[in-house]
Amino acid sequence: MNEFRWRDSPDTIARLVNAENIQTLSKQQVMLKPNEACAMIIDGRIGDILSETLLKSMAGGFSRWIGDKMGITANDRRLLFAMTGPMDYWIPFEGQIADGEKAKGYTNLRLRMNLEDVPKLLNYFANNAPTLTRDGLISIIADEVNARVVTPCLASCTSASGLRDASFLERFEMTAESEMRNLLSNLGFTLLKAFPITNPTDMELVQKHRAAVQAKTAGTEANVEAQLAHYAQTEALTISRIELETNVARAKARGQVTIELEAELKDVRAKEANWEAERNHERGKMELRVDEADAKTKRAMDMFAEVQGRKSNRIANQQNFQNQRMENQNDFQTKMMEMAADNGALTAEVMQEFLRQQTAQKAVDGAGSESVNNSPKVCSCGTGLSPGWKACPSCGTPIA
Amino acid sequence: MIGTPLDILPYVRGVQLILVGYNGYTKGSRLENDKMVREEITRATTRVRSHMQNVFDSQFKGGNVDVARAAKQCMEECDYLIEDVAKAVSGMEHAFLSGQRSPTNKDLKKLIKHDNEVIEMVTKGVNLANSSEHSIATEEGNSKQIVMQTTQMISSCRGFFAERTRVLAGLKQKK
Repeated sequence: MNEFRWRDSPDTIARLVNAENIQTLSKQQVMLKPNEACAMIIDGRIGDILSETLLKSMAGGFSRWIGDKMGITANDRRLLFAMTGPMDYWIPFEGQIADGEKAKGYTNLRLRMNLEDVPKLLNYFANNAPTLTRDGLISIIADEVNARVVTPCLASCTSASGLRDASFLERFEMTAESEMRNLLSNLGFTLLKAFPITNPTDMELVQKHRAAVQAKTAGTEANVEAQLAHYAQTEALTISRIELETNVARAKARGQVTIELEAELKDVRAKEANWEAERNHERGKMELRVDEADAKTKRAMDMFAEVQGRKSNRIANQQNFQNQRMENQNDFQTKMMEMAADNGALTAEVMQEFLRQQTAQKAVDGAGSESVNNSPKVCSCGTGLSPGWKACPSCGTPIA
Repeated sequence: MIGTPLDILPYVRGVQLILVGYNGYTKGSRLENDKMVREEITRATTRVRSHMQNVFDSQFKGGNVDVARAAKQCMEECDYLIEDVAKAVSGMEHAFLSGQRSPTNKDLKKLIKHDNEVIEMVTKGVNLANSSEHSIATEEGNSKQIVMQTTQMISSCRGFFAERTRVLAGLKQKK
């Protein structure tokens, strides 16, 4: 049994086969896949529509031959094969949008054929070749698609960017669904999807070129900025390196100076220590001398105090003696006056004599007490010297 | 399955009300039954799509894009379901030679029950689609809501029909 192939190209959509033309000695069979269908037209009427089956004894073979000879089979048998599965069709279009700009592209139609609609293809085969290809279908529906769908939709589009708008695509599909139903239904097709694929318009190409130039300019600017940044970075790096080297050199010099200063400082410290020791030594010596002078002064002061004490004692002794003598004198004169008075010898002359003698006595007593020289003296160091001092209390110089 | 078990008889009868010739996968007629069920689902879905086409046309030409968009979505959902059903697996013949295990009564019962339920569900979708068109014609009720409910029902049908594939896939491995 031979396998009959009704479709030898992917572009073939449907084919009307006259069974008389494929008569062979052996039987022929056709395998119908799920996306294929076969409508049998027997003696001018539509018979069964088959799919997903193995169509045995379709044509040819002895039984067919004998049946035809005996006239017990149909006189006219035609087989209408068709692809039912969804297929895409690209229909070119060229039109103008609302602003006058030209738009070119393709309309993509995705069509399916229902099993019961397969016989409607007879409408096509009535006036066309028995094989329907993709191009054949496009040639039939293209004008109507352009007239009913593409042109109105483009006319409602105000700018080229609107061609890529989602609302435009939706409107396009809805328009196609509504406007193309009549033709497609007559041919037995069902529209599943419709959308336009538009080429870039002239203005879009200009915008694309402008965007490319801007992008290139921006790229150049970015490169220049990057180069400048690189130079600036290199400059900063070099300056930092120079500063670093300078700082290192300065630090080295500073370190050298510090070392020298530290050495000098050590010398100065040693000298200071030496000078401090000498000063302490001298201070000790001076303190010794001062202590010695203080001791001398103290001793002189002590001696002076002792002399003053003795002098005071002597003066007190003298004064006591004088007072005692004066009292004795007074007692004696009193007794004498009393005796004179008792004896009636107290006359004016006696009194006068008595006063005269007493005055003379006082003069003698006074002269005796003022025999000491009280004139002040001054030492060579400027210190005032009192009478009776044997040495200066300040400098210790002996007084002559 | 030589005879039809009593417990699934109501389901078989339910399907037979819609599909004349359906016999519940009796031996020798399983592929035919499977094809009948799938064709019925496709036919019902096509009815839903036709209603939605009418809704879409009237609303789009009337400028009511919201409802038209919802109807278009429902049409697309119908297309998806039709395509799912058209390209669904059937299997189950020549089990011995193909390496599949033979379906048990339990498998077939599950399949028959599933057929009944999915046909009922698609029928509900048809009713909803009819209601939406009626709602638009009489301007009663929220037509957009009914359209969207139809979409939801068809979408549920897709998911529910996919379970059939799972049932049939269980037959592909011999236990």
